[in-house]
Amino acid sequence: MSSKEEILGKCRTQQDYPMPRLDDIAAVKYPDPLTQFVAMSAAVGGKVVELQPGKDINHLLRSLFPEAVNIASNLPEISLANRNPDTVGSAAELDGTDLGVVRGEIGVAENGCIWVPQTMKERAVCFISENLVILLPKEAIVNNMHEAMKRIRVGDYGYGCFISGPSTTADIAQVLVMGAQAARSLTVVLLP
Amino acid sequence: MKVGLFIPCYVDAAFPEVGVASLRLLRYLGVDVDYPEGQTCCGQPMANAGYEKDAEPLIHKFGGLFAGYDYVVAPSVSCTAFIRMNYPRHKCRVNAVDIVEFVHDVLRPAGPLGRFPHKVSLHNSCHGVRELGLSSPSEQNIPQFNKIRDLLSLVEGIQVLEPERKDECCGFGGLFSIEESAVSRQMGCDKIRRHAATGAEFVTGPDSACLMQLSAAARRLGIDMGFKHVVEILAAGL
Amino acid sequence: MSTQHSKKAAAFLKNQEYTAWHDATFWGVRVGRDNMAMGLEEWEQLRQKASEIKLHTLSHLDKYLEQFAGNAAKNGVKVHWAADADEFNSIVLDILTGSGVKKMVKSKSMLTEECGMNPYLEAHGIEVVETDLGERILQLKGQAPSHIVMPAIHLSHHDVGELFEQKGISEGKGNHDPTYLTYRARLSLRKEFLSAGAGMTGANFGIASTGEIVVCTNEGNADMSTSIPKLQISAIGLEKIIPDYDSLAVFQRMLCRSGTGQPTTSYTSFFRKARCADGEFHIILVDNGRTQWLQNPAHWELLKCIRCGSCMNTCPVYRRSGGYSYSYFIPGPIGINLGMLRSPEEHQGNLSACTLCGSCQCVCPVKIDLADQIYAWRQEWPAAGKKLICSVMNAVYKNEGIYRNFTGIAHLANILPAPWLPFYLRFPRKPFHSLAHDEL
Repeated sequence: MSSKEEILGKCRTQQDYPMPRLDDIAAVKYPDPLTQFVAMSAAVGGKVVELQPGKDINHLLRSLFPEAVNIASNLPEISLANRNPDTVGSAAELDGTDLGVVRGEIGVAENGCIWVPQTMKERAVCFISENLVILLPKEAIVNNMHEAMKRIRVGDYGYGCFISGPSTTADIAQVLVMGAQAARSLTVVLLP
Repeated sequence: MKVGLFIPCYVDAAFPEVGVASLRLLRYLGVDVDYPEGQTCCGQPMANAGYEKDAEPLIHKFGGLFAGYDYVVAPSVSCTAFIRMNYPRHKCRVNAVDIVEFVHDVLRPAGPLGRFPHKVSLHNSCHGVRELGLSSPSEQNIPQFNKIRDLLSLVEGIQVLEPERKDECCGFGGLFSIEESAVSRQMGCDKIRRHAATGAEFVTGPDSACLMQLSAAARRLGIDMGFKHVVEILAAGL
Repeated sequence: MSTQHSKKAAAFLKNQEYTAWHDATFWGVRVGRDNMAMGLEEWEQLRQKASEIKLHTLSHLDKYLEQFAGNAAKNGVKVHWAADADEFNSIVLDILTGSGVKKMVKSKSMLTEECGMNPYLEAHGIEVVETDLGERILQLKGQAPSHIVMPAIHLSHHDVGELFEQKGISEGKGNHDPTYLTYRARLSLRKEFLSAGAGMTGANFGIASTGEIVVCTNEGNADMSTSIPKLQISAIGLEKIIPDYDSLAVFQRMLCRSGTGQPTTSYTSFFRKARCADGEFHIILVDNGRTQWLQNPAHWELLKCIRCGSCMNTCPVYRRSGGYSYSYFIPGPIGINLGMLRSPEEHQGNLSACTLCGSCQCVCPVKIDLADQIYAWRQEWPAAGKKLICSVMNAVYKNEGIYRNFTGIAHLANILPAPWLPFYLRFPRKPFHSLAHDEL
């Protein structure tokens, strides 16, 4: 007998607990989810800026990251980009990226999470970049994770991530440090 | 209403004044209380050490002695909790209630109780908090309440304070205090320092075992505080 | 009367300054957790739902495992089943050697710790690089974790600073600032990510309805480990399977709030497929005792654990004795219990490390009755050292004549020195039962 059959055989128990209802969870809702989202983003070490209607995203990014040299994005509107995660030869070629720009689909007010499904060939851009910018439509904010989980879709690349703030660690003497192994800063740009 | 008083072994032997105060308080509140002869121990120390089975004869002896009482009232949260949690497994049915619960929930006195013009720091014993529900555990997001505090508010002249980490364990734990003596001592010292930091003159609580542990820690550290079981304060001057 | 744990705890407590820091640090995490719990009105409801989801899933584990494995296979994932640690280790080795991998980066996994995977792979010539900063520090130092979420908590920034100097990770000497040290580790680990042939993760959750592995990290190291190499291996204990995204929402909301007092981890990553057409994704489902524990009528609910670590943080004994005072690789209340499931003979010396205060079961996000379980283990494995004293007490208590004689002369014992009479105990001349009648 293979380990699979043996394991499955040994999993059968006499117990029978029903699955609880989950639609009756009285989950937190906010009078203004966007305000809460902005506050939580700051609390987790991120930054939120708003792109004013009619303004160019590239101008905004340049003003936020005046010193960024290597800029990676596969988004057509990011004309500043000089690296494309869809066309690089390997993920490793994205090392040394100063600024990565990706699209987020859902923002979660309760914890500042942003759902970023993989929409580029090399998802490393989301982590290997020193600074990460996530473009998020302003109306895409939900109250809590229950609402978010109902909406997320993992696309054809088969990967997605909720990102909340920059990479952090407190592994050395419990001191909080931004910028462990992945992005050292996170900026959310709210799109009109 | 038939009420039997259970005075646990260590209270009987080491803190008779707590038994006396319990009697006085109950009688002051108009309860015709019995003190059945021949009571000793509920079995908790042995059971917590891993010998519940060996304590079975004691459990049945206790059940026999207190059969027929509507309430078995004891001034000890850990003994009460032990009886309530574990006796049913041995098909032994006694309605054990801690004296604080009994007075607070059943007798519900409105009027003044004793007089105790002092600052006291309230020790919320673990089994009182987390097994009997005398107060809302600090871990849980439920409405805040404290039955001990409610009763103490009926005492004249008293000022009730609570230490930081209001329901962290004092480190007694029965045989834990002997087996893990180093950790137990550390917990006791940490706890009494927090009680002392309230500026209170006395520590009060619903279990003499915790108070014994804390008074030992106080002596070790040279902290000058008094220790009174809650019933002693409720009955002070009655 | 002393135990394996009590002896080590006593040694730990000799350094009072460190003990105070350790206690205050973990209490701080507990306070952070409390703030999170009190910040959500639905907190207790979430705990109840989480517990019920786990009870349901565990009681239908065969169905959910098959569903999970079937969906994973549909996603092109190669699913393996490992009955025990040996089989797990050899599966990992086979995958790596089959792809000619010499170096693997990995994110934190208590399961690989449990199976002793790193030493096994290293003995077979494969370099394994831990990429969680705490785990990396321990790997460089040759130590085991002392906490499941904050593994290197027992080391000070000076310890880490000196270690980094020795290993050439820091430049020069004397800079022990955590920000600087973290930056140096980042640079050093970046080279490892770029040169590894495979990336490994553990799993916080396996989603049956999609066949995905979900991993929660703050550092983003699980994502770094799996975004550059083409080969991904994820190891998951059987009990980590949950039904679907709606269930995941419940656990995701509580895991980090309970464990570290944050509203979420920085990254909650969903791994469904191999990351590229010429890549591979292997998921290894590991039993290693779990199905046997599932059949244990008194203790199977311990499998509900989601490894948040909150029971350790609140445990007054853990905070004052440290992770290394326990014989099992997981410390604290859950570690005492899991150690007993693993091997009672080896780990019963941890059973003393509990006052039965019950704080652990009040914080546990999946409502495991941890302290009641420890009480039950004590009955199943009564400590020989306490047999005599319990027998004597029983004999005295059973016979009220003897009891009365004892308590009547107890005050004579007041002259005894410690340890014959614990120094906190002093007996009055008359016990209560001789006063009761006058009172009545």
